[in-house]
Amino acid sequence: MTFCMETEMDKTTKIIQTALKEGRKTLSEYESKDVLKSYGIPVTREILVHSREECMKAVHAIGYPLVFKGCSPHLAHKTEKGLVRVDLRSEEEAILAFDDLTSRMEGNERDVLVQEMIKGSRELVVGMTRDPQFGPCVMFGLGGIFTEILKDIAFRVAPLEKRDALDMTQEIKAHKILGAVRGMPAADMDRLCDILVKVGEIGMENEWIQEIDINPLILSGAKPVAVDALIVLKAAG
Amino acid sequence: MSNPVLLQNLKTLFNPHAVAVIGASENPDKLGFHVMKSLTTGRFKGTIVPVNPGAKSVMSLPAFSSMGDFPGEIGLAIVVLPAKLVPGIFQECSRKGVKGIVLISAGFREIDDSQGALLQSTLADLANKAGIPVIGPNTFGMVNLHIDLNASFTPEFSWLPKGGIALVSQSGGISHLMGFMAMRQNTGVSKIVGLGNRLNVDFPEMVTYLMGDPDTRVIALYLEGLDEPRRLMEATKQTRFVKPVVAYKTGSSRTGNHASLSHTGSLAGRHEIYEGALKQSGVLYVDSAERLLDTARALALCPLPKGREVAILSGQAGPGMAASDVCEAEGMEIATFHPGTQRVINELLPPLALRTNPVDMGPAWYNASAIEGIIRAVMEDGDVDAILILMMFASANRAAVSGFSELLLKWKQQKPVVACLIAPPGIWDEEVRRLEEGGALINVPTPERAAKTVAALWQYEKMRRRNNGITPYPK
Repeated sequence: MTFCMETEMDKTTKIIQTALKEGRKTLSEYESKDVLKSYGIPVTREILVHSREECMKAVHAIGYPLVFKGCSPHLAHKTEKGLVRVDLRSEEEAILAFDDLTSRMEGNERDVLVQEMIKGSRELVVGMTRDPQFGPCVMFGLGGIFTEILKDIAFRVAPLEKRDALDMTQEIKAHKILGAVRGMPAADMDRLCDILVKVGEIGMENEWIQEIDINPLILSGAKPVAVDALIVLKAAG
Repeated sequence: MSNPVLLQNLKTLFNPHAVAVIGASENPDKLGFHVMKSLTTGRFKGTIVPVNPGAKSVMSLPAFSSMGDFPGEIGLAIVVLPAKLVPGIFQECSRKGVKGIVLISAGFREIDDSQGALLQSTLADLANKAGIPVIGPNTFGMVNLHIDLNASFTPEFSWLPKGGIALVSQSGGISHLMGFMAMRQNTGVSKIVGLGNRLNVDFPEMVTYLMGDPDTRVIALYLEGLDEPRRLMEATKQTRFVKPVVAYKTGSSRTGNHASLSHTGSLAGRHEIYEGALKQSGVLYVDSAERLLDTARALALCPLPKGREVAILSGQAGPGMAASDVCEAEGMEIATFHPGTQRVINELLPPLALRTNPVDMGPAWYNASAIEGIIRAVMEDGDVDAILILMMFASANRAAVSGFSELLLKWKQQKPVVACLIAPPGIWDEEVRRLEEGGALINVPTPERAAKTVAALWQYEKMRRRNNGITPYPK
């Protein structure tokens, strides 16, 4: 157990140190999810590719339908920049998307993230922010485009107990979205609460992480999966 | 609390045998006059020691030129002198062995001049060294009603009825608002404390102290912002559910970091985090001064509901509808009566009005025994967790309230009863007071507030259950 924790932290620390050395303020989506994964948070299956060959290998390893995203630590708003292709279902579509994305990206960093496409219409957000007074705080709310429009969110201060996590999921106005609605199964609350607790842990254990955004966290059936993630680092003093 | 001596002395601060007023005066233009008036007209039973080097007596009480001249011990010193004289007074307090200080004077951390903050930190050092807890500076003071101690510059606080609510506030204005609202609603209070600049007594110290205060049943907090909010979380967490804590916090205007790169960062106003943090430590969070008072009052005087099924019994249809709407919006359910209950109601009410919940008892205005019968049936209904009784006066229903009083007084809220019995001044006041003082119900000014109040009780019960590992969301 202890050993496992240490390796998690080592891995996270390494990713963060690298980014800091490069003078970056954010981790790429791929790196961000690596951090989440090392804490046991379920993320999309994905492979970072640099060439057409690697791309096709990844396509076959993961299987259709797929999502391609331009991936660089300097890319914050991929959708707005036209760097996301969804629902790719054939080799032709995949190659076209790969070429198109790489041509749109500047500089040396032309990595593409080949990602399984998560089906699910319930999008949530889970986040962490480091408040100067409270320290790491965890946020839960409606995800996707609704996050900023409806601001239906709840906060708790880390470390969270499981009941705190459960409370915050019930606190948002749209909490019924977590139940069995319109033929969709009820959310796996154990896993969901576990994610909230762990996001708090990441904040407690990594002082260089300033903010975390998991948006969207999609309910794939009952199971929550981190589909996009962004980790913001503290500005080096 | 960081310093156990401070906590020990806080007990004496609130329960002194002798109180000195440093800066006592007979000049109504001086705060020292109003503080003296508070103590004397508040009928404090202990010794009042006016301290003023220029006076032989103040308000017919022998005055002393310094605390040292008074032969006995002084438990509490109330200081109303200009800021620059206060460090000297603190030293004198320390020599005299004073156990607590209420520092009303302003001119410290709250002023633009940085000298103010400097002076305050000098005072904090002096007080901490001497182990003296200090309420203030920059406060109206405090009242401890159960010993008739009014250590504030507002003599009228002594008009408050004695009761179980302790209010701890970061604002003098809100304290006065709440105090006067409490008077108008005949709401019993144990203490009102204005924390002011919080020299060494802050919310966590007050929560810890009040948890052990036998006169306090419910702790109500008004906050604006704290220097160390995690300390309050620790204090409330340690004692959570020993007594209910209700909090109202203002300052939702965003000060968060808008330049934040993530959604989470830009959505995290300090206010939202406070709200989460307070809930997390077992504090019931409310969003207005009137809700703070209504909720604290209900928690002090009503039992907690066992579920969320509410019966709404109204003398008129409209108020019943208004209460139903708010109940539902606040997460309560309008109970479906047990068939036996419904049968009784159908027998007692003609089929002219709504006989299912919310019940319109209008057709029974002239029939006190019918109203009593309906209330009795609902009381005994196992599917009902809380009762709202709403009755607007009409000349024809004048006797309605006295008609059901005895039943409610005997029943003594085996389930919570929140009422809205409203009449022109003087008509039902005595009867309502008798019901409230007899523990039969609490009365609030509007049907909506009645609904919100009962919802707050359930909110608290849900939180308490979750804390005890009981599932709070019954099917």
